[in-house]
Amino acid sequence: MMKIEDRLSLLNYKIDKSYAHITVNPSICETCPDHFCTFACPAKCYTLIDEKLNFKYEDCVECGTCDTACSHGSVAWTNTKGGHGVKYKFG
Amino acid sequence: MSEFDVIVVGAGPAGASAAIRLASNKVNVLLVDRADPPGSKNVSGGVLWGDSLGQVIPDWEKSNMLERYVEAKGVTFLTKDSKISIDFRSKKFGEYKSGYTVLRTKFDAWLAKKAKDAGAMVASGVTVDKIAMKDGKAIGVEQAGETITSDAVILAEGANSRIAYDSGLKKKPTDEKIALGVKEVIKLPEKTITERFNLTSPKMGFASEYVLGFLDGGVKAGGFLYTNKESISIGAVISMGDLRKNNQTYSFNVIEQFKDHPFIAPLIQDGRVEEYSAHLVPEGGMSVDSVYGNGYMIAGDTAGFTFSNGLVLQGMNYAIVSGIVAADSFMEKKGKGSDMNFANYGENLAKTFVMKDMKNFSGIDRVTWSETIHNTIPAIAEDAMLNIFSEDGNPKKHLSQIVLSSALKHKDKRKDLAVDLYRMIRRL
Repeated sequence: MMKIEDRLSLLNYKIDKSYAHITVNPSICETCPDHFCTFACPAKCYTLIDEKLNFKYEDCVECGTCDTACSHGSVAWTNTKGGHGVKYKFG
Repeated sequence: MSEFDVIVVGAGPAGASAAIRLASNKVNVLLVDRADPPGSKNVSGGVLWGDSLGQVIPDWEKSNMLERYVEAKGVTFLTKDSKISIDFRSKKFGEYKSGYTVLRTKFDAWLAKKAKDAGAMVASGVTVDKIAMKDGKAIGVEQAGETITSDAVILAEGANSRIAYDSGLKKKPTDEKIALGVKEVIKLPEKTITERFNLTSPKMGFASEYVLGFLDGGVKAGGFLYTNKESISIGAVISMGDLRKNNQTYSFNVIEQFKDHPFIAPLIQDGRVEEYSAHLVPEGGMSVDSVYGNGYMIAGDTAGFTFSNGLVLQGMNYAIVSGIVAADSFMEKKGKGSDMNFANYGENLAKTFVMKDMKNFSGIDRVTWSETIHNTIPAIAEDAMLNIFSEDGNPKKHLSQIVLSSALKHKDKRKDLAVDLYRMIRRL
């Protein structure tokens, strides 16, 4: 089984250092009973570290899954701007 | 006076087809895509079925952007240990149109170039925030606090429909209205692919859909495997509802379970993974209350125009037709006063297979994602096949007896199997 980290390392990104196109509300995530985002996100942007939700937008492939997956209203999703974000070679 | 006649948002098959059609008819059109180059965030399986594209690019089949022509179409059930498939191959796929495998980054950039060549202005790396509305009418798009004006907007931003959500044109999808597609492109030599899939020439391809009835934790997913010129597109389309119910399977590992299946692994053996991608797939037909309004039309995935019955998985052909119909509906209105309420788009679309399929197959997702399809049928089929194709020295039974006894063994799995089968046959 190929590790997700190795698969993500194949991708090209133009990372927007000044704008996180997705943000989460830590106070909601703190009391979340399921953390479904950690299983749903195909780019492993959501992980639990010491039972605390950790989110990084840099690996995001902009599919929109987390916005649907989170049923607790924590995820605020916007499109990347200025051509930033994932850039596929094949698609 | 608007800056453009039409602004098309999203350079996928729907948006690009609309832009090509409009520009070819001297309409002043802006095609805007948030990716740079245009289309470089787009993903699909993907096979482009049919010849809808011929309506805007007559010689499209001569393009070297097409990978392979599907001469072999598979439908396959996978259980943990077995593979049960139909592998249909036909020389008649010359007269009966099947489809071409495509890689969307390349293909969509080519479509956008066709739009540009036809006279459209193409803006890439530009993110539209919202449709600009005034007195209930779309007057253009909002981008970075500014409004770019147009007489009409064609919204074709794809399955992850931010603009539609933020403009109040679409509700966010429930688990039933969306699935998660996860894909890998695996590099293999052209000759290896042609030989491995028993294809008659390097121009010919294989495309198969799979029911993955063996996944950890009973997660439901459909698989796909398509041959490109020098790569294989393989992926899984995962039910969001099941993934949520399970809540311990990682979406990105479902595709690896598929790749590791004993009868899939040899097909991709020695291949190198070149790309990993993920994209939402609309499920269950039309996903907006209305495909039009005053000053705007919605096309492609944004409107939920995809079709899947387990045998085929289609979207690009629906996108192309809806884009073309949107373009034509604008041209019907152009220069005839100020009415830009595109009820005619709804009417014109209703005459095409796009809306007819949406209507006739409404509710089919309840069949394609059913226990019956994903677990019961594969289990019964496996059991029956083992009986039919093995030899244990006992007298042979009639086929009907074998199937019945296999079905009875698995009846505990689903008590209302007969009801489900009836519903399935009717819906398919």
